[in-house]
Amino acid sequence: MAPKICALCRKSKAMLKRPKTGQQICKDCFFYVFETEVHNTIIQAKLFKPGDRVAIGASGGKDSTVLAYVMKTLNERYQYGLDLFLLSIDEGITGYRDDSLETVKRNQQQYDMPLKILSYDELYGWTMDAIVSQVGRKNNCTFCGVFRRQALDRGAAMLNVDHIVTGHNADDIAETVLMNIMRGDIARLGRCTSICTQGEDTIRRSKPFKYAYEKEIVMYAYFKKLDYFSTECIYSPDAYRGHARVFLKDLEAARPSAIIDIIHSGEAFEIKDEVKATQKLQQTCQRCGYMSSNALCKACTLLEGLERGMAESGITDRARKRLEAEGPAPDNIRTIPFFNPPSGQPVVTVEAPS
Amino acid sequence: MTSCGNPNVEKDALMERRPKYDGKTKICVKCKENQGNVVIRHAVYCKSCFFPLVQTRFKRTLEPSINPAPDGPRRKALRAAGSLAVGFSGGTCSMTLLDLVAKTYLTTRPTGNESMKGGTDHPRNSERGVWKGKPTVCYVEVCGAFSGQIDQTEVIRAIVERYPNCPFEFIPLRLEDSFNPSWWSSVGGGNAVDSARSFGLDISDEELRLTHISQSTPPDSSALTALKAYLSSVPTLTAVNSTIQTLIRLLLFHTAAAHNASHLLLGTSLTSLSVNLISGIAQGSGFAVAEEAKEEWTPRPARGLPVRVVRPLRDVGVKECAIWNWWAGLHPVDRPWYPSGAGKNAVDSLTRDFIFGLETDYPATVSTIARTCGKLASKEDSDERCILCERPAQRRVQDWKAQISIRSYSDATPAVSGITKPTHLSDDEISNLTQAKQESKPEPSLAPYLCYACHTTLTSRSIRGMTAPLSAQRAKETPLPMWVRSTLDGVVAKDSVDSEMIQSKKLTSQDIKSQIEQYLIDE
Repeated sequence: MAPKICALCRKSKAMLKRPKTGQQICKDCFFYVFETEVHNTIIQAKLFKPGDRVAIGASGGKDSTVLAYVMKTLNERYQYGLDLFLLSIDEGITGYRDDSLETVKRNQQQYDMPLKILSYDELYGWTMDAIVSQVGRKNNCTFCGVFRRQALDRGAAMLNVDHIVTGHNADDIAETVLMNIMRGDIARLGRCTSICTQGEDTIRRSKPFKYAYEKEIVMYAYFKKLDYFSTECIYSPDAYRGHARVFLKDLEAARPSAIIDIIHSGEAFEIKDEVKATQKLQQTCQRCGYMSSNALCKACTLLEGLERGMAESGITDRARKRLEAEGPAPDNIRTIPFFNPPSGQPVVTVEAPS
Repeated sequence: MTSCGNPNVEKDALMERRPKYDGKTKICVKCKENQGNVVIRHAVYCKSCFFPLVQTRFKRTLEPSINPAPDGPRRKALRAAGSLAVGFSGGTCSMTLLDLVAKTYLTTRPTGNESMKGGTDHPRNSERGVWKGKPTVCYVEVCGAFSGQIDQTEVIRAIVERYPNCPFEFIPLRLEDSFNPSWWSSVGGGNAVDSARSFGLDISDEELRLTHISQSTPPDSSALTALKAYLSSVPTLTAVNSTIQTLIRLLLFHTAAAHNASHLLLGTSLTSLSVNLISGIAQGSGFAVAEEAKEEWTPRPARGLPVRVVRPLRDVGVKECAIWNWWAGLHPVDRPWYPSGAGKNAVDSLTRDFIFGLETDYPATVSTIARTCGKLASKEDSDERCILCERPAQRRVQDWKAQISIRSYSDATPAVSGITKPTHLSDDEISNLTQAKQESKPEPSLAPYLCYACHTTLTSRSIRGMTAPLSAQRAKETPLPMWVRSTLDGVVAKDSVDSEMIQSKKLTSQDIKSQIEQYLIDE
């Protein structure tokens, strides 16, 4: 059988079937369209301006590894004029994060970008290993997720960057749309398809891979021979994949455009005005100054529970009431340093590539 | 997503299974006397409380929309502006709907003197119904779409006509009527022997160009042939199912309008509504998500009343409908719609399996989906309507698609140049790839008149390829439903005139001479 010719350049031999469009294309055209689409996303949403300091949230996984590579490529090709940094969070999970942080350190060398690693231990005084030893494996992901979000913002503030970019891809966003509908989380549903989020005091956070299929990210890493670390977190070995994720994969198999179609749907609707009026207003945490929906932010609530030996208090209402019944928080517990938005000067030195 | 790949970083993300019935009580929660017979969303009901429970939910959804001014004072009088049409498929929820309509609004009053008193029971009120005229029940037979399926029209007719005193007028329709000029004319759509009749669709081309069907086309364009040609030309099983749904919907709408109906009732249960919502969102129809629960449709060309499409069972689960049918002695018609094995490969059937599974294990999730989507509205106002499904449509959806997925270099001309061009192509090669498009003559296309979801239905391909390969000629001359042809007749003709007005072309002396030739005298 004669080799298939690339549907785009009509010159080279087709090497892959593109998951997003089903077209049979060559490797070079795949690199070109993948990168150009990310560029289109960046330009369309006006994500950056020349001179911006941008931190790439780097976990050492496929999404952030490819993101770092593509951001560097596009920054040079289209002369965005960005100062790029790598920002990693070390949750303190022995045997899991140690290896993936090695990947990030390699990326630092390969892409010639300064790297900052911020640990939970440094910020909260607790590693995930220590948290799991107290709370067990059931709810540890709640702590990890809440702490990571704050840690990224705080790391970015230390680096004095204007912007954090994360490797959330189209599959993640489509899955979030479905999840939020199924659990009735109207507030998150309203904002989960936004490419860029920014509160009054928080650092801009955006997702340049918003329209990039997970499979294409893997394909890109494979053909570019980018190495990344892929493992399940040891504290969630049977990770709850979520009904939405399994369902989404089935939809994608039936019609690959389903992922983009869900994102388009999510972008086309919004919460009715009368519902918006009933939503909680954003405020500032009284203890640490981070954005919060309540007097205390979620991270401070969780940390107080850990410090007072009542970790469940951040998880269930009953445990929370028990904690409150014991009186106010003692003065000697560890708290999170007060959050100061970027001041104009980096407050930490970053590891420059050697 | 978290780096550990675990979506349940928040407690709420865990959908913890809750026992369907805690076994604490067996007494009906409503009357608190009788032994319970059925568990509905964790609560126990007896048989005698079950019927008013479902009927109350049915009326609570339907009645606020009956009077022309919705949500007005309705206790005094329910008076619709026109007649009533019921879309009936013979399925479980449809059967319950018809029974509820008959028992709630169409029961004949006893004729004994004892019962004929004053007030609302006065004889003068006995003939005054909520809707004008005799309600119609419309049934769309889909057997033409699939080989080997039996025509069930007469079975359905028997079901509809068994109610005492025949309160309904039965209107049988066929899916192929969508391509039938006689049906179109009978519903007041107009004479189909117009210029647009010659339009076909080139479905092999992603730009969905409209083609003029050649005169040499064999005269086999019967409605059934056209339906089969249309269904076999759409690219995926998802598209086939979605197309059938759209055709049924529009057949019901046009038929209802032709009978001067102000209301069309559909038997969409809470479960099916959740399926439709998620399936619609997964097919890109988020812009019209509010229409899935409640819509008002104005016929094109203008005739009759706007039809208010109501789904009065949208608070009643499919299980409750099944229980209603069982206790009322109703037997739904088994209608195996989909060809065997299609379930795994189509978005709507995958969604249906997913939601039905949820309803078994997490009954609250199904109503959460409907409630959440009920809080959504379109992000932008649009007075555009899709030519195919006739739902609100966003503008510039093709531009959005081209932006996020590059399908050809000719569409991305400005980007494909200089240092930003593909490194393996020379300037000449790029130029050749982009030139073809620039030089091609713009032809009328269906794409600008479609909503995102319908455009995706006609263009999104499966990774496995087409459902069935089509001959080149058939793919280029795919017939279009009657309402599309009718609307195209107006819009394409108008656009052609507009484009003629703005097109400029340098005329040669021969061109100029040809225009005045008859006035010139031979030298």
